[in-house]
Amino acid sequence: MSGFGIGALKSYPCVEDQDLPDQDLPAGIIEIERLSKVFDTAHRDRHLALSDISVTVADGQFVSIVGPSGCGKSTLLYVVGGFVQPTSGRVQVMGKPVLGPGPDRGPVFQEFALFPWKTVLGNVSYGLIEQGMARREAEARARALIELVHLKGYEHFYPKELSGGMKQRVAIARTLAYGPSILLMDEPFGALDAHTRTRLQNELLEIWERDRKTVMFVTHSVDEAVFLSDRVFVMTRSPGRIKSIVDITLPRPRRRAELLVDRRYQDYVVGIERQMDDPPEAGGT
Amino acid sequence: MVDEALAAAHPGARQRERMTLATIPGLPPVLACLALFLAWDLTARAVAIDSLPSPWSALKEVPAILGDGEAIGNIFASLRRMAIGLILAIVCAIPIGLMMGRSRAVAAFCNPLMMVIYPVPKAALMPIIMLWLGVGEAAKILVIFLGVSLPVIYHSYQGGRAVEEKMLWSAAAMGMTARARLFRIALPAALPEIMVGVRTGLVLALITMVTSEMIARQNGVGNILFNSLDMAQYQTVYGMIIVIGVLGFVLDAAFQMLRGVLVAWAEPAQPIIVGST
Repeated sequence: MSGFGIGALKSYPCVEDQDLPDQDLPAGIIEIERLSKVFDTAHRDRHLALSDISVTVADGQFVSIVGPSGCGKSTLLYVVGGFVQPTSGRVQVMGKPVLGPGPDRGPVFQEFALFPWKTVLGNVSYGLIEQGMARREAEARARALIELVHLKGYEHFYPKELSGGMKQRVAIARTLAYGPSILLMDEPFGALDAHTRTRLQNELLEIWERDRKTVMFVTHSVDEAVFLSDRVFVMTRSPGRIKSIVDITLPRPRRRAELLVDRRYQDYVVGIERQMDDPPEAGGT
Repeated sequence: MVDEALAAAHPGARQRERMTLATIPGLPPVLACLALFLAWDLTARAVAIDSLPSPWSALKEVPAILGDGEAIGNIFASLRRMAIGLILAIVCAIPIGLMMGRSRAVAAFCNPLMMVIYPVPKAALMPIIMLWLGVGEAAKILVIFLGVSLPVIYHSYQGGRAVEEKMLWSAAAMGMTARARLFRIALPAALPEIMVGVRTGLVLALITMVTSEMIARQNGVGNILFNSLDMAQYQTVYGMIIVIGVLGFVLDAAFQMLRGVLVAWAEPAQPIIVGST
């Protein structure tokens, strides 16, 4: 009896791992292959939002997607997040096909999307408690994150009592809390005034420098993309396609004041704006 | 940043400093009641008929009603069936409305049904319901239940529909299932709107309660009201109307306090309008 059991167990190691082509996989943590998305519009004509997109994002890379409004850049992000199903093509994250949303991919939206019935502390600890962590421990971790996003002292405020910039800090902390390996940021600073926006860009880079999570960052602002990213995907409108991929080799850590007078930074911004559909004078922000 | 937060927290701070007659708490409703009684008094004097006594003689009946053990028993019997109908309706209607709001298929199925049933006066169904359930408690509770359900379903539906999709996505990314998102995200997010429906439902519960009791007379405030009417005790009739009015006012005020506690976190967006159906 026992001999039979051992024999059955022994047969496993022979096939294990050998057939899986680990080495063939590119280093991409996100792999998008021939992705298309068609929306059915109200008047029954079909709108091709994304057309045949194939890109790879490497682990630890900060990637921005820029393009004119309506080019499908947010849709691309939602497909990676699992919130929107593609019409054709495939998306893999860490070697596994995306079937739906999951805690490995943390979204941050322009609309903040905080839970208004929860305090700052309640929002930030929500994901941790949801994943089974004890409340005390979850709140301790949440407090550390609240401090990281410079909101110490606001733990018991409700979202309605916060300004836009503070709400987005809470949203970032809430997403960081449950430890996603990828951040999906959908025009996170788009609803903020210029001053707050600059501050949050700096804070985001500071946070990112600590553990260099993979970031997919959608924006319509070319200089924001160049300032933040290692790599910029430039998209064109109708149908949404990747027009070009620009590697930003500016040194880190980046300081805004230095970059603005840096010729290379200016060349990146002007070069990308030229590639966008919109005329250059309308593209820059 | 502190200033930013304070400004966001107290948008009405500056207006609140201005104090007029209308801002003294409790004064406007008292003035409104006085105006109503004055108009009533003038009308009663002008028409001078038995079936419209003066408001003062009606008011004098109120302590007599409240001092009468049998009348109090009737009032509590009414409140009890109203509470049962209301609670049953809320418990059933909120999940139905929310599911309609979050699922296009459920909405497509339920919406036409709701639109057909909503305008039917529920008290008009009372005779039929009495044939099924008799004249007892069950028939009245069912009518109250029907009266309350529709506004609660409707507002839960609207509230559920208006839940920000990105909020549900954020929850999904945390690993919450569809069911958990419905009850732990969509429900609280829609609560301010649901409360509008429940407030309407509360008023409708009072109305259908009185109506059902006047059709199936056994006990309750509707019973007292119409028995007094049969016996031409007009002072008691109007005294009872005042009692019902005050009851409605007190219940609504209590509900508003509860609502203030439950949705204190909400942005002050929805002004509450009590439906007239």
